[in-house]
Amino acid sequence: MGFFKFVLRRKMVLVAFLMLIMVLLVTALAPVIAPYDPGKLNVPDRLESPGSSHPFGTDHFGRDVLSRVIFGARITLLLGLSISIFAVVFGVPIGVISGYFDPVGMVAMRIVDAAMAFPAIMMALALMTILGGRGVVNVIIAVGIVWAPRMVRTVYSSTLSIKEETYVESARAVGASSGRILARHIVVNLLSPVIVQATFTFAFSIMEVAALNFLGVGIPPFIPSWGGMMSEARNYILVAPWMIGFPGLFLALSVLSFNIIGDAFRDRLDPKLRTEQLA
Amino acid sequence: MLSYTIRRAGGMLISIFLVISVTFILMHSVPGNPASVLLGPNATPQQVESLKESWGLDRPIWLQYYKYVTNVLRGDFGKSIYFQKPVLRIIFQRAETSVFLGLMSLLVVVGIGIPGGALASIKPNSWLDNLMLLLALAGASIPSFWLGLMLMNFFAGTLHLFPSSGFTSVIETGNILNLKNLVLPSIALGFVNAALVARAARSSMLDVLRKDYVNTARAKGLNERTVIIKHSLRNAAIPITTIVSFTFAKMVSAAVVTENVFALPGIGSLVVQAILKRDYPVIQGVMLVVAILYVLINYLTDITYGYLDPRIRYG
Repeated sequence: MGFFKFVLRRKMVLVAFLMLIMVLLVTALAPVIAPYDPGKLNVPDRLESPGSSHPFGTDHFGRDVLSRVIFGARITLLLGLSISIFAVVFGVPIGVISGYFDPVGMVAMRIVDAAMAFPAIMMALALMTILGGRGVVNVIIAVGIVWAPRMVRTVYSSTLSIKEETYVESARAVGASSGRILARHIVVNLLSPVIVQATFTFAFSIMEVAALNFLGVGIPPFIPSWGGMMSEARNYILVAPWMIGFPGLFLALSVLSFNIIGDAFRDRLDPKLRTEQLA
Repeated sequence: MLSYTIRRAGGMLISIFLVISVTFILMHSVPGNPASVLLGPNATPQQVESLKESWGLDRPIWLQYYKYVTNVLRGDFGKSIYFQKPVLRIIFQRAETSVFLGLMSLLVVVGIGIPGGALASIKPNSWLDNLMLLLALAGASIPSFWLGLMLMNFFAGTLHLFPSSGFTSVIETGNILNLKNLVLPSIALGFVNAALVARAARSSMLDVLRKDYVNTARAKGLNERTVIIKHSLRNAAIPITTIVSFTFAKMVSAAVVTENVFALPGIGSLVVQAILKRDYPVIQGVMLVVAILYVLINYLTDITYGYLDPRIRYG
């Protein structure tokens, strides 16, 4: 049975995939489909409720909320993807080496545990300060450092079980070097747990980025982002609830589809992983 | 049980030591001289020199590390640049709000999660079960600050049932009704996690309900309530405890934003304030306290396992 059939058979996964495709399309076509310039001020039309000219209403500067939500999808995807790549690039090598060489693993895992003792958002906040404040690259590094240890954990435990497999033992018996075993037998088998963890990293990190932007320490305010929009909307929550409702809804839907897709990947690629908990 | 408790305590102490080390490394990775960073941009050269000396920042790194660890162990977390008060005292002043918020949220999580999950497990695939699944999925995806603002809009803004923000100390004023201010924030924090706990409780209960001893209990004529509560729930408790303690850690993180949304004078809003003011000693102190707390909670969870399941003690 192909992956495509598997997706079609489960309605919820199908909906999640459609949602993901929609977000991708919106991201790619943002300048074409956005009805207005997301940064264009139009003070006479401020705080207009959703209607025919502005389907999602306007904000306190008269900017079109729909256009800002569309452009917000761009930066959200970009950050989520970059953070997941960061976590994979740093997490996988450290995890594999820790899992394969016991003494390294003993030390590395204690450090990973210590790093994970800090609440994610607090660690990200502190790292943002250390890196010197707001900025797209800083957000990627800060949130990436928060999620990399979780990737290390996943890769480490998978490596531990893979290296006990008979085919690794036989490779060693015929005289394969550690490097060859790692590259040819272990890393290739890590693909499924890494994809699963990367999907969850994506979901959690876009939520965390939104929280950073909401607190005013994420990306610079001139880039439209869902978290930033919600932060600005706070003071208008009673008069213009659409300002916070729409970006929040799209954030929740995106995280939801990534969570569902992550679950589906996990069930599909490796039934053994099902019992493992998130994070 | 005693030897298990002591063995676990050893591991916990190592973790605390590592947490202190991570904080040290983090604060030493701030670009520039740590003394001038810690004192802020308005410090005089004399102040920088005297801090360098008292913290031993002019000495080799391993001596600095030694000094840092001993200072922390003596409870000396330095002085806040902004408040001009010892960091630990500020944290203690802010702790009340966060502790109450944490406990009330935990009440929401456990109070909704465990009974919800147990009920769902008795009738799998019923409407209640499906509702729980839907809520759990939504719970993992809705940002708690968004939910908080929505609750604030509806219950405080429209219905005027609860105050929208702020909190006055219960201990200082003796007025327990002040806790009303924490109802909406703890629902915002707890609700999204309650559903996750319910899912865990459900799957763990389903597992147990299939076991032979549950059949035996039913066969010998015990009523269903005894079977569920005494024979099943206790055996299902270990995975539930894991997820509750995991949830608690997640809530500590989410509380940073929730406290900010509801303008609560807790540790979470303190850290945000400190970051905006670049008050490094406070950032460092809060991170250390919270991480140590996390290690302690993990330790207590381990001890609870040992209590719930004697096999773990000897494993």
